[in-house]
Amino acid sequence: MSILKTTKTALLGSVLAMGFASGALAEDYTITVWSGGTGETGSYRWEAIQMAADILEREYAVTGQDVSITVEHQEWSGWDDFKQAVTLAAEAGNAPNIIVSGHEDIGPWSRSGLLRPVEDYVDFDAWPLSQIYPNLIDIASYDGVVWGLPQDAEARPFFFSRAHLAEIGYSQEEIDALPQRVQDGEYTLYDMLDDAKAMQDKGVVAERRGFMPRVNNGTDYWQFYVSFGGDMVDPETGKLVLDRQALTDMYQFFVDAADMGVVSSTHLGTTWDDWHQAVSSDQVGIWHGGTWHKAEWEAKWGLEDFFGEIQYSLIPAGNERGRANTISHPLVYLLSNTGTDDDAVIASELITIATEPRIAALHAVKSGKVAIGSEEAKVPVFANDRWSSIATTELLPYATAVPNDIDFGVVWKAMYAGLESSWTGTSSVEDAVNTVESEVTGQLGDAIIVR
Amino acid sequence: MKNRANGLGLVLMAPAVLLLIAFFLLPATLTGIFAFTNMSTSTGISGGAYVVTETVLRKLEATDLDPKLRAGLGEKSYTVNAETLAAATSADIEPGFLAEIEDRLSGKTYAASSAFEDDLKSLPSRPRRIRDLKLATEPFERSVINTRYPDRGQFEAALQTFLPAATKADLETIATASYTGWTWTRDNFIDLFTRADTLRLVANTVFYVCATLAFNVFVGLFLAIAVFYLPSRAGGVFNVLWLLPRITPVVLYAIMWKWFTWENGFLYVAAEDLGLPAFNYMKGSVPTAWATVILVNGFVGASFGMILFSGALRAIPIQQLWSSEVDGANRWQQVTRIILPQMRWPILFVTSYQTLSLLSSYELIWLTTNGGPGSTTTVWSLEAFHTALNNYTGNLQYGLGAAMALILVIVGLALSILYLRLFRFNELVSKPKIEF
Repeated sequence: MSILKTTKTALLGSVLAMGFASGALAEDYTITVWSGGTGETGSYRWEAIQMAADILEREYAVTGQDVSITVEHQEWSGWDDFKQAVTLAAEAGNAPNIIVSGHEDIGPWSRSGLLRPVEDYVDFDAWPLSQIYPNLIDIASYDGVVWGLPQDAEARPFFFSRAHLAEIGYSQEEIDALPQRVQDGEYTLYDMLDDAKAMQDKGVVAERRGFMPRVNNGTDYWQFYVSFGGDMVDPETGKLVLDRQALTDMYQFFVDAADMGVVSSTHLGTTWDDWHQAVSSDQVGIWHGGTWHKAEWEAKWGLEDFFGEIQYSLIPAGNERGRANTISHPLVYLLSNTGTDDDAVIASELITIATEPRIAALHAVKSGKVAIGSEEAKVPVFANDRWSSIATTELLPYATAVPNDIDFGVVWKAMYAGLESSWTGTSSVEDAVNTVESEVTGQLGDAIIVR
Repeated sequence: MKNRANGLGLVLMAPAVLLLIAFFLLPATLTGIFAFTNMSTSTGISGGAYVVTETVLRKLEATDLDPKLRAGLGEKSYTVNAETLAAATSADIEPGFLAEIEDRLSGKTYAASSAFEDDLKSLPSRPRRIRDLKLATEPFERSVINTRYPDRGQFEAALQTFLPAATKADLETIATASYTGWTWTRDNFIDLFTRADTLRLVANTVFYVCATLAFNVFVGLFLAIAVFYLPSRAGGVFNVLWLLPRITPVVLYAIMWKWFTWENGFLYVAAEDLGLPAFNYMKGSVPTAWATVILVNGFVGASFGMILFSGALRAIPIQQLWSSEVDGANRWQQVTRIILPQMRWPILFVTSYQTLSLLSSYELIWLTTNGGPGSTTTVWSLEAFHTALNNYTGNLQYGLGAAMALILVIVGLALSILYLRLFRFNELVSKPKIEF
């Protein structure tokens, strides 16, 4: 063997050895993130994880560890397909490491074993989780276990066209005072219907454009149940509750609205685009939506002066049994049981970093959400955003949330089916409520209290 | 020679048999099995585990389980003593850290994990990763609550250690309440047969199938006969045009219908110009929604019928038509007296095939009205799909959905037998009485 050949062999050996050595030290992780309900303005639901991966790699590097993290993501604009995808992927053992979903999924997904309890992986006493609002931690918990980290939170207000209110005789002072009247229970849902009718009668909005509620199923409709005095959970026993009277009053409200001609009896099923286009271009008198819709109207639908054109308030009380309210539907980062425990550790570190106030503030401001922690509210980009601050301080304190109970989906499905059938006139309100009752008691038995 | 031929036949048949088993028998069997379970998102499909949770403790309140035992089940503590330290030694805990636990925390008991973790964090050799610190608490934990046991044996063993006073009957009660997986049940069928919604679903389905079927058969027949009498080139063009609904990808076809019927779509604009009521015809009213559903499906079925009827028409000896013309028959008489009587079998086939196909089809309804407005255009198969696989709340009820699908299979089989008897299928496949 020549010297040259020997040298080459030695060099090659050294290079290979170094390669193996570095390969043995380096740790590569691929973390998958799937997020539901993620439109254009919600991109930080997964971008936050990518930002977190960069920070985490640097954190490991400064402690002398070579960790490489690749984040792969998929997003769904809706919920039906997203939840189907997660559930079926989990059954096949292919769930993503991190799931960004509504907190109400914690119940069924934790029972089925799809989730790892996040409390086993993170330190709630340490930064940045120590500054997360405790009520959001509660919402991310089920059966005494914290299953997820809050990703965002919002409120769902009522919106009024300032111009159209003025056209039916409201003074500027009265328009400005409207949110307080709503909050105090002086202005009810039926007062709202009268105003919507007045707008139509006066010709400032078209027929059936006086009131334009949400176009499809969503947590929003539980707000009306609360407006008429309904409870979703019995605080003493922790059992689910079906309040027949509240449900009857709520269904009757939408039937009355359709009878008055301020909303179509077949409104449910309208497209979101039609709704956005109508409400953001002042074709509608009164409507309700989410705090995040402001961002969408400005980014996509050409709304220029939100505060000048639109007044907002809580959802008015329906009657003396109920109260003005709003509902929050916080999204949570969940850890699936996919992968090794080390994968889950990396995923938990990523979602922890993603809740850092500065990163969370980016999402909140871009998508019109509220703060998830006390320090986030102080981040300049958030604190200087008027709407985000209003949503956090004026709306969020009055927010309820749907329960994380495993069986709540049965109640929700039945409630919405009853709403559809009574609203469209397919069945009477009484029949619809009876059907809901028989449906939920048939499926849940003693697990639900019917009042 | 005969055996070899038989063997070859089996070999040739094997792929078809395997496909039949994989894509028909297996799914149908699984549907039948799922239908008698309470499988859902929360129970999972592949089996359950045993976990005592706060919900389980509430559930146990309704049983005759001793309240003391129930209270005991909910207790949780962390103890550092010789026994737990021995358990910790066999766990994967860094020896230096474990030594510090033994030195500084021996004899202590904690009621909450947070307090124990706080003390562990104060130790100099605490692990850097919080996960490692949490794992280090496990050998010291004394509880069963919120611990997931993969099988009954492990669960009962843990219960017996934790609650030595528990009897076999107690263990049975606790295990039954703590099981997270699915169980066998007939409740799906009881639920379906008792709930008020079922009747409306059945009525919708019957209306949808009958109306669409009538459209398919009559329009298909009309088109086939009309094309038959057209000059062959014009007929060919017409044929291709009517095939478009069938050959267009389903999603694209549904989107085209949306453009056609939606707000600001073709019909909307046309109606506005003509001073007619302009609204979202697909979802804006119950009659127009039904009309849309029937037409969307009807055009696809009509083109299918047209192909089959056209083929059958070509098989009628043309001499019969010529001779009828000699006898002075007009077109109507030719259709009613010559063509239709000889089209019995194709009409039977299209009717029976389309009935079964419509009963189980939901994709075009899903993509257009999605069962709305309200649930006015929801049919059985769409509801089964929503129940089992796709709904807003994500609460997928595989068992109930499978029960709905099983009922559909049974109805389909019953109708198949009915059709075969009604149209005397045996005669169709019997040997001809005259040998040619």
